[in-house]
Amino acid sequence: MTAPQPEYKFAEIIADPLIRERWEKVRQYFFLRESTYDMTNRCNIRCEGCYYFSGEKQFARENRSQADWRTLLEGEKQRGITFVVLAGAEPSLVPELCAVCHQVIPLGAIATNGIRPIPREIDYRIHISVWGNDRSSERIRKAPDMLVRQLVNYREDPRALFVYTFTPDNIGEAREVSRILADNGQQLTFNMFSAPVGYSGPLRHSRESLLRTREMMSELLEEYPQNVLFSPYNIVAHTAEQSLHQLFSCSYPRQNPSAAIGLGKSFRQYRTDLQWDRQAACCVPDTDCSDCRHYAAGSAVVTARMYRHATDPVTFSAWLDYMDTYLAVWVTGYPKGATLCPTYINPPAGKERP
Amino acid sequence: MPQTIDQTIIRIAEIIINELKLEDVTPETFDPDLDLIDEVGIDSMDLATIALVLRDEFGIRIDEDDYPTLTSVRIISHYINDKLNSDE
Repeated sequence: MTAPQPEYKFAEIIADPLIRERWEKVRQYFFLRESTYDMTNRCNIRCEGCYYFSGEKQFARENRSQADWRTLLEGEKQRGITFVVLAGAEPSLVPELCAVCHQVIPLGAIATNGIRPIPREIDYRIHISVWGNDRSSERIRKAPDMLVRQLVNYREDPRALFVYTFTPDNIGEAREVSRILADNGQQLTFNMFSAPVGYSGPLRHSRESLLRTREMMSELLEEYPQNVLFSPYNIVAHTAEQSLHQLFSCSYPRQNPSAAIGLGKSFRQYRTDLQWDRQAACCVPDTDCSDCRHYAAGSAVVTARMYRHATDPVTFSAWLDYMDTYLAVWVTGYPKGATLCPTYINPPAGKERP
Repeated sequence: MPQTIDQTIIRIAEIIINELKLEDVTPETFDPDLDLIDEVGIDSMDLATIALVLRDEFGIRIDEDDYPTLTSVRIISHYINDKLNSDE
């Protein structure tokens, strides 16, 4: 069956001045090409359901040679990588290696638990993970006073972005945490707990918890529009019953056999021994793809599907909102614009499959 | 009026030059066999943008799964002509 022809030409869609302005704003960042790097195999806390301590990568031998890291990053730059994501297990434990990365590739982000501050000269976006209020954090992450310490470490730091991960157990706490972050002038965005392969614990979302999360995200986006970096279309994409892969067909190498273009060609996920494996390469390795609603995955998977969203002004506006949010979340200094599409729309289907 | 392959090639080259703001090349001098990804440096978002402009221009739909195969202006022109002919 042939897919229906779009009713609007692309030129007609971007003829709208607001849409055109946003389109011209976001397309300046089409040059971003990311890869991710596990910086160390150590962490100073041990969270339930941690992605790093699932699968084989946790057993990789740690390479702490600054010279080796510099060589790796220079090679990455040579092959076109323009944006790095420094993650597992806890990058703040190896600031000297993060600094080397920043010296070679100046655009990037670091995922941290925020317990140890990352030196200011490493001018990457700093994503600080929050898993509920401090009572929940102590239970799930076995670490006391996390939010208190995170706020002290990143007070008035423009790099900082708090990433609130929704689990079925902490949905109501998001209200309290968001208020504290807003009162402290901090920005936050939302993540969804996405089960690692084989995980069957209580943090896996259900239909009911997805719905409650959607309602809470909507409430907080409305209440703290200056602090919450999210959009209605982000809410739809990340709280749908279908996973991101099921909705948008994940373009990371792990699910994408084509190495010709895009993430399938350029993305690598390096372990802490500086090796990578195409079969495991995605932004959150060892996540169960049928449960993946992770914010980092969506940042690439949804944005890559521009073509299918260019069917009409409303759908394309929703995609632009997602793109604008993605850039504000990942790129230091990128200013998020006002929401263009305030209503929930269904993600458009891709090519029909037999 | 149906276009010849050569006319299609020139028009596609013109679109790519305009969208990517390429300098020092004209539609007539653009090598239709250049590898757009490895030699011109186009990435997936650029290609998606070009695909949308081609959709407007030729009234065809380009499947997302076909992007990896569209590696040169000549290949794109044949792809478009095949699409146009199959819709006749």
